[in-house]
Formats: sequence, C-alpha cells, structure tokens
Amino acid sequence: MTWLFDNEYDDEGFRRCGVTGLDVHRSVENHAKLFGLTAVVALLFGGIFAFTVAMTRWEVIGLLPAEDFYIHLSLHAWNLLIFWMIFTEIAILYVGGPMVLGRKLPFTSLAKIGWGTMVAGAVAVNYSIITTSAPDEAPLLTSYAPLPSSPLFYAGVIVFLLGTTIAALPFFVTLWRERKRRTGSLPLVTFGAFVTSIIAVEAILGGLVTFSYALAWRLELIATIDAALYRQLYWIVGHGSQQINLVAMITVWYFLTHVVGGAEIVSEKVSRTAFILYLFFINMGAAHHLLSDPAVTTGWRIFNTSYAFYGATFASLIHAFAIPAGIEAGRRKRGKGGGLFGWLTSAPWKNPVFSSVVFSIILFGFLGGITGVLMGQLQLNMAWHNTLATVGHFHATVVLGTTVAFMGLLYFLIRTMFMRRLAFPRLAAAQPYFYAGTMSIATLMLMYVGILYGVPRRTSEVVENIPGTEFSLAAAAPLFSVFGIFALLAVLGGVLFLVIALASLIVGERIESPEDNADLLPDGGAHGTAIDAVDEDDPVHAYEMRGTFVLCLVFMATFVVAYVLNWYLLSQLWSIGA
Amino acid sequence: MGSPLKPPDGNWWNQPINRRESIWLGLGAVWSMILFGWMSIWTREGDQNPIGRTYRVTEEEFREKIEAYKEAADETDDGIVPPGDEVYIAGLRYGWDGLPVVLEAGREYDLHLGAYDVQHGFSVRPEETLSKQINLQILPGYEWVVPMTFDEPGTYQVICNEFCGVGHRSMHGTFVVEEGDG
Ligand code: HEM
Ligand SMILES: [Cu+2]
Ligand SMILES: [Cu+2]
Repeated sequence: MTWLFDNEYDDEGFRRCGVTGLDVHRSVENHAKLFGLTAVVALLFGGIFAFTVAMTRWEVIGLLPAEDFYIHLSLHAWNLLIFWMIFTEIAILYVGGPMVLGRKLPFTSLAKIGWGTMVAGAVAVNYSIITTSAPDEAPLLTSYAPLPSSPLFYAGVIVFLLGTTIAALPFFVTLWRERKRRTGSLPLVTFGAFVTSIIAVEAILGGLVTFSYALAWRLELIATIDAALYRQLYWIVGHGSQQINLVAMITVWYFLTHVVGGAEIVSEKVSRTAFILYLFFINMGAAHHLLSDPAVTTGWRIFNTSYAFYGATFASLIHAFAIPAGIEAGRRKRGKGGGLFGWLTSAPWKNPVFSSVVFSIILFGFLGGITGVLMGQLQLNMAWHNTLATVGHFHATVVLGTTVAFMGLLYFLIRTMFMRRLAFPRLAAAQPYFYAGTMSIATLMLMYVGILYGVPRRTSEVVENIPGTEFSLAAAAPLFSVFGIFALLAVLGGVLFLVIALASLIVGERIESPEDNADLLPDGGAHGTAIDAVDEDDPVHAYEMRGTFVLCLVFMATFVVAYVLNWYLLSQLWSIGA
Repeated sequence: MGSPLKPPDGNWWNQPINRRESIWLGLGAVWSMILFGWMSIWTREGDQNPIGRTYRVTEEEFREKIEAYKEAADETDDGIVPPGDEVYIAGLRYGWDGLPVVLEAGREYDLHLGAYDVQHGFSVRPEETLSKQINLQILPGYEWVVPMTFDEPGTYQVICNEFCGVGHRSMHGTFVVEEGDG
C-alpha cells in the first residue's frame, strides 16, 4: 500500500499544494489519507446493506426474513452513520487543523493508536451484530434498553469512542500550540473544525456514560435500567454525533466552495457567529428524539427541541445565505457573474468536487433542514415519530447532505493528496448528479409513505401484510415501488462512486506537475493569485448578492408552505393530549 | 476578508455586512421566533399535543391495574367496553393487552399507556384514512395518561412502530369506535 503514501516532500517534509496553496506536511497528509481510506472501507461495507435493507422494505421483493433484516439494518446504520462518517471526520480535523495552519501533525503515534483503537471497536461492533443470538436482539442504531444487545456490542462502542478521542488529540495539541505561537484569529476552516471537535467531545462523553450504563446492566452489575433515562443519555451521543456530521459538513462547504468554486467569505463576523451559536445551542437538541416520549416535561421538550428559541436553526439559516453568497460575490469579483444567476451557470459544474458540494448544500437545506425543523416541533413530531418519514428526513441530512459532501471531499483528496487523476472522468463528472438525483427521489418517497400512509420504520413487513390481521398499509404500495426503483438506482450511484474512487487510487494516472491539477481551480486560474488576493479597496461584501437572496427567498417560501401543510394535516386529527 | 484558509486580517469584526445579508438575518430571526411561538401557543390552544401525566410503575403494578380494569369492564365480541372514562393499554412482545377496546365517538377518554417488557411504539390511524395517524413512544416503567377523543366512528388500527424484537412486525390491535349517545 506504500504507493498511496509516496508524495515528494522537501527536506523538512513539506510540500506546497498546487491547488490550495497550503504547505502540507507529510505527517498530516499521510494520516488524513489513512483515515480517509478506512472511511471508504466502511462506506463499502455499510453500502452493501443499503441494498439488502431497501430491497426488504420494498415488499414486492421482500429480500430478507425478519431475523436477518434487523441484523442488516444494524450493520447499515453503524457502518454508514458512525464508521464512515467519523473516520472521515478525523481526517477533516487533520486537514482543518494542522494542514490549513501549515504545521506538522504532533504525536503521530497517538493518531495511529487512535486509528487502531477505532478499528478494533468497529470490528467488535460488527462482529457482535453479526453474531447476535438470544436473548440479545439486533441493536439497530439505538440499542434501546431494556431490549438487550450483546455485551460485546456495548464494549465495542466504548472502545470506538475512546479511539476517536485519542485520534482527536493531535488536533487539540495543534490548536493549543498555535494559540501559544501567535495571537489573532484562526482561519475559518480551522475554526469550524474546532467547533466540530468541541461538540464531538460533548457527544463522546455522553456516549461513554450511556454505553457504560447499558454494559453494567447487561453484565448484571446493576439490576435494572431505566428506559427513559437511557433514551435521554443515548441521544446525547446519538444527536451529538449528528451535529458533528453537520458542522464538519459545513466546514467542508466553506473549504471546497472556496477552493474549487472561487467563493470568498462575505462576512467573517456573521459566519463565525453562526458557528458560535452552534457551539452553544446545537448540542441541546437531544430531546428532539424524545418529543413523543412519556417521561420528559413539556417545558423541557419545548425549550430543548427549539435549541433555546431556535438558536441553532437561526445559525443554519445564516450559513444558508453566507455560503452561496460567498460563491456569488467571489465569482462576481472575478468577473464571472453576469445577471442574476450568471455566477451559478458559469460555475464548474463538470467538476464532481464542485457539483457534489453544491448538491449537498441545496439538498441538505431543502430536504433535510426543513423536515428536521418540522419533525422537531413538539406536536408535529407525533405525525413523524418512528415512521419512514423520519428515515426520509435523516437520509436527506446524512446522505444527501453529509455523504454527498464527503464524496466530493474524497474526490478532492484523490486529486490533491493521493495525486491521481480520476479514473473514468466522464462517469465521475456524472456521478454526483446521478447519486444525488436518485437518492433525492428515494428520500422523498420515504417521507411521503411515512407522513401520508403512516408506514413505520424498522419493520420488515407492513405494506403487503401484517401477520395476524387482515389490515395492512397496502395503499402505500405504489409509492413503495417508486422508492424501490430509485433506491436501487441510488445504490448503483454509490457503487459508481466506489468504483471510481478505488480505480483512481489503484490505476489512476499520476499527477506529476501542478498543471495537471489546473482544471480543479475555479476558472483554471493559477493559484496564489486571484483566489487568495486580499484587496482592501475591493471588499467582497460590496458585491451584489441578488442571486443568493432570490434563492434564499425561494427556500423560505418552501419552508413556510411545508410548515403550513404539516400543521394543517395535524389539525385534522382527533383531539389528543392535555 | 476572503479565504477561509487564511486568518482573517485587519479588523474583521467591524467590516460592514451586505444589505441583503442583513435583511436575511432579520427574516431568519423573525421566522425562528414564529416557529417557537406557534409551538408554545399550540400547547395551550391546540387540540393535538403529546402531553399527559406520567407515573412510574413497575411491571407488576401495571399488570395488576390492567387486571382490575378488565374485571370491571364488559368483554364483548368486539372487545373490551371500559367501565368509565379510563382505558388501559399495555404493550408486550408481541401484542397489546387491553385491545381491542370499544369506545364511543366524541367522548373523552384517558388512555393509560404502558409496557410490560421493552419499549414499544403506539401508532394509531383510522382504517379508512391512513394519513390521519399519530405515534407515541411507550416505555416500560412508565404509565402515561393521554386524553383522547375519537371524533369519527370506525375502526382505528394500532401497530407497534418501535422495534421490540424479531416478532415486532406482528404486533397490532384495534380501537372500535362506535357512534356515541350524545
Ligand atoms: C443508497 C443509499 C441508501 C439507501 C437506499 C438506504 C435505505 C435505508 C432504508 C430503507 C432504511 C430504513 C429501514 C427501516 O427503518 O425499516 C435505512 C435506515 C437507515 N439508514 Fe440508510 N440508506 C442508504 C444510505 C445510507 C447512508 C449513506 C447512511 C449514513 C450516512 C444511512 C444511514 C441510515 C440509518 C442511520 C438508518 C436507521 C437505522 C435504524 O433504524 O436504526 N443510510 N436506510
Ligand atoms: Cu412493540
Ligand atoms: Cu414492536
């Protein structure tokens, strides 16, 4: 595998990246690659179960019997939501910290120990799921006590979380040293990575408590486990890890829209304030998952689900403007933006890094963000809770949002760190369109069958047949067929990504000189010039942001319409609750 | 200003904000307050809220309550006819103790929801209109008293929508809602 780690460096171990202009040290680059590659393995493994799970839920195919279905669903959730994302996120910390700052990675042995520990934890979790046997049940993502999971499962999760903490240490040390070395603010990307890491620490602490509690109960060190307490604890890590995904993704948005799209930060103040709002409010939202629960007070549910008066939602609305505005103003500044949308139409749409990131931004917002706020309203939650609509919501966030952004990031790493041309360049240019397009439709179908037909999540049979009754949700069958077909196509889109990525790494043509990567730069311009120029007399905030404003108004209108429709549906119900 | 890869230079905090961005910030802040306000108002003024009193109960206590309730109730071919306004339902692997139950349309009942073993999902919809559906989480160790008034007669189907074990998919029950007297 050494051929993947053999870039040329100067005597001190640095090289200048021809695309970002960053001084990249060997230690940072190689460890980021290690985590990135591991993430791809998790994506591949978890992706297999996307196929089996979706083909079981499409009951016309009805691939798996119930016993196997829950095991496959558990493997799907853990490998994709946890392992694929968190291995990528450690790579993002290394890129956002030491690489952007132009430093070495300190304590590389910790990075390696952390990696090894994470891998051991991940293997243990997978093994425990595959070998689930009575009295244990498949854990799914949540392992809701008192339904028992294998002790090895809880232990594996604890090991994985500890590994993640160890792997993050070199990042913290980098920031600590940077603080001592100089005053002044961190670059925005580093700042975003920093906020991600703080949220990660909170989530990991919650996770250690949760799974230790469950392990102690499973090993009968304590006699009983409180289902409500477990849920509250579990969602500190369950929800917190989603916020890690969110903030890491937004950091990647700022990073890649700048490097390959020519975006600039239109207001450091506004963007940083939004990150700070996340820092304070976003981890509160754990009660999102407890809105239809018996054991939490109404006041706490309302305060918590609204992240204290929608502090974090407001932050997301800020990024929703700031990022496209950065592209718009940045491109107008380079003379690439005639009319209302000229900056968009002239953008590098054939570059899969750019298209992935832009689809991620749009789809996360329209499909994931809006639905998240809807189902996060105390009362609307009753219509979404535990239905496939919930699954639709989080596939819009973690697949269309985070996974698509991370795919773009990996294309970028293949080009600029593994120094390989993409194999099958035409296919690569089309892949983001195909994957994001088909997955969007599959996701929308999940939302529809959930909301309009009340189809539950986490079950292998309910549309064609419910064992023991005449009743079934047969009316949802046509929409399920649309879901099934598009889920299949989406899986194919995922396979395409893996084929392109792996083929590029193994047989991809080597990139020898900076010119080979010139096509990655916005408008092919040479680096170190236009993209980085700071011109006090030509401030970027003074450029027009008309196009972004119009897009944001369209977004707001969609939001309001979806909100009103959901409330209308709810108000049609019989009366419930005090 | 400019690159997210470079430390911002100069006095970035005092840089002006684009007018359209400021307008958007205002819109966002207003919308956030509306979202919050509507949700809180609905807890007071609205008819659908996942809100009720909650009591801690052990499995044995809840079983005893349900036994006592069933003693007092009428058992008919259609299901249990509750003696008063209190209705008891417990989730267990894999069924609903207390269902089917026969209720009157338009009358307010207090549903006492609980579980004997693990977590379950209480998902209810009238057979005829699947889009009218609500979902509540049921936890062992807790008795949740949720008032409910079924406004239309008909059969309301209950399915469990929290994974509770391999037999989970067969866990279902019904409410038989009949025309009320009044
Ligand atoms: C082509 C891609 C994918 C398809 C077709 C797909 C399909 C599905 C379906 C149908 C379910 C619901 C099963 C049920 O509740 O009965 C599901 C669950 C889930 N998926 Fe995916 N998925 C895909 C990709 C992903 C990715 C990339 C992630 C994470 C980044 C992910 C994370 C999850 C999680 C966390 C669950 C919930 C598991 C649970 O209930 O515990 N999926 N997926
Ligand atoms: Cu159940
Ligand atoms: Cu169940």
